[in-house]
Amino acid sequence: MRYAFFPGCTLESAAEELMISTKKVAAALGIELIELNGWTCCGASHIQDVDDFLATSINARNITLAEELKVDKLLTVCNTCTLMLRTAKLKMDKNEKLRTRVNEGLGRAGMEYKGTVEVTHLLWALIQDYGLENLKKKVKRPLTGLKVANFYGCHILMPPNVMGFENHMNPISMEMVADILGAESVDFDQRLACCGFHAVFPAEREVLDLTGKNCLSPKTAGADCIVTPCPLCQMQLDAYQPDAQKGFGEDITMPILHLPQLIGLALGFSPEELAIQRHVVEAIPVLKESLALF
Amino acid sequence: MFTTLYFKIKRFDGENEWYQDYELPYEKGKTILWVLTTIRETLDPTLVFTSACRHAICGSCAVRINDNAFLVCKTSLDEVLETFKTNRLTFEPLNNFEVIKDLAVAWEPKMEKMEQVKPWIIPAEDGSKEAGFIQSEEDYHQIAATTDCILCGVCASECNQLAVNDGTYLDPFILNRAYRFAVDSRDGSPEEHIRPVYENELWKCLHCMQCVTKCPKGIPLTDQIAFLRQESIKMGEVRNQGAKHAFAFHDDVKNKGRLNEVMLPIKTDGLINTAIRKTPFALRMIKKGKINPFHLPKEIEGIKGVREIYKFAQEVGK
Repeated sequence: MRYAFFPGCTLESAAEELMISTKKVAAALGIELIELNGWTCCGASHIQDVDDFLATSINARNITLAEELKVDKLLTVCNTCTLMLRTAKLKMDKNEKLRTRVNEGLGRAGMEYKGTVEVTHLLWALIQDYGLENLKKKVKRPLTGLKVANFYGCHILMPPNVMGFENHMNPISMEMVADILGAESVDFDQRLACCGFHAVFPAEREVLDLTGKNCLSPKTAGADCIVTPCPLCQMQLDAYQPDAQKGFGEDITMPILHLPQLIGLALGFSPEELAIQRHVVEAIPVLKESLALF
Repeated sequence: MFTTLYFKIKRFDGENEWYQDYELPYEKGKTILWVLTTIRETLDPTLVFTSACRHAICGSCAVRINDNAFLVCKTSLDEVLETFKTNRLTFEPLNNFEVIKDLAVAWEPKMEKMEQVKPWIIPAEDGSKEAGFIQSEEDYHQIAATTDCILCGVCASECNQLAVNDGTYLDPFILNRAYRFAVDSRDGSPEEHIRPVYENELWKCLHCMQCVTKCPKGIPLTDQIAFLRQESIKMGEVRNQGAKHAFAFHDDVKNKGRLNEVMLPIKTDGLINTAIRKTPFALRMIKKGKINPFHLPKEIEGIKGVREIYKFAQEVGK
């Protein structure tokens, strides 16, 4: 299996552990990821607030880079990158006038968007393309005893006319993967909540309040850790957790894993190989205890 | 399919709240409004909910079902059962509204809040009562989708910012009204609609996509929020965290192609504020190797082409 790969900015610095774990997991599963040469930031749901035509243009350029690789799909590991790329694709494919205009701009960079590549997320690709039965065959260390809280994040579900992989009100993809890996999914109130990351600067107080609720809810439900398919949710819940704790009387401590890290653990990698030590909230002790790792 | 349906409805009598259980035999091809009406007519005449037109025009029958807001007269019972894969549904009043009784919520405070954006046409100077305000077909289409709003409150119920806000942030349907009059060709003072939006925490929208996802009329609410932000920038409102944050992304892509995460807080909050407020955060990120203060993103391959695309977008914007 071969995908064009769009890492997104966080994988280059703050969430380098996601780059490390994604590459390890892909290699172990025999999935070839070809990183786009010269990809730009997707705009992270901000650039359209300055210039929406530009936001569409830069992502049309990113998708065109994938088209030039002659692959069927462009794969991401970030909810927001997926949404930004798919939003641009939908606009380009549906609106002939816009497509002509954007292509005029791309033409100045010697490029042309054709619309031949689909944009997907690792979570979807595992279910849709790789197959969970095949994933199951690769499991070397079932995650028996690990209670995970699946935190989807908004941008892998909504808006459904852009995303639409599964029902946004009752998704099951994360539970399906956790189940195949042998982990137990814990139901919790904030499972489909917003992490607030995109407004953590202008709405700091509100977002930290959300972060606290998002950690406390799975903790109360008995989860060992949160798992998320989005590095932005991960950063909000992990790196800002000490700030959120200040607004809460009770202990909200909750380790936050990236989805590929959970998969990597089941494939037999050690937590250190998956760079789990890079998280702000210590996750390794609870993993070692729950999975009896030494 | 199910033979019996189990409902839990949140009740409120002005003082106490509780959940009450009801059962109905399953019937095919019904709406959720049929469920509520049947419960009231056959099981419990004290149950309070609002509804009128039954045709998704009056906007009065929105409630939450299993944590999601729906306009119940246009919502198929079968689809809801299929979505949640259950014959047990919990009904609650809309979130982010004051509850009057059971499922009925108060609109007066919302209407008072809406007045801030002057939800009426402030006539353009080139029109007059005598000459009329002729609108071209193209201009009409600017406002066509926005006028589909029936004030059902679904967007406000689902808004994640409203759920944690102190009451200042404006409900998405109010933002829609501000947009609707700001872009109306017959209106001469768009700033009078946009400025109150800007001043009421416009940049606090969390980008969660709930409003645009749940709106029963499919109004592009998040595109409208982006437009209102663009307009506030054009009005000169660039010295705020939200606009500075958006420009940080905008400018980084032009300069190098990628985001400079080290500089992002400084570009958004300024050096002094960042030093005061973000130092503990920065230290814990550096400690874990999540931020390398000496890391400078290199120019991506093809950056010249990216800059050409920027130049072109600027020409298009003019």
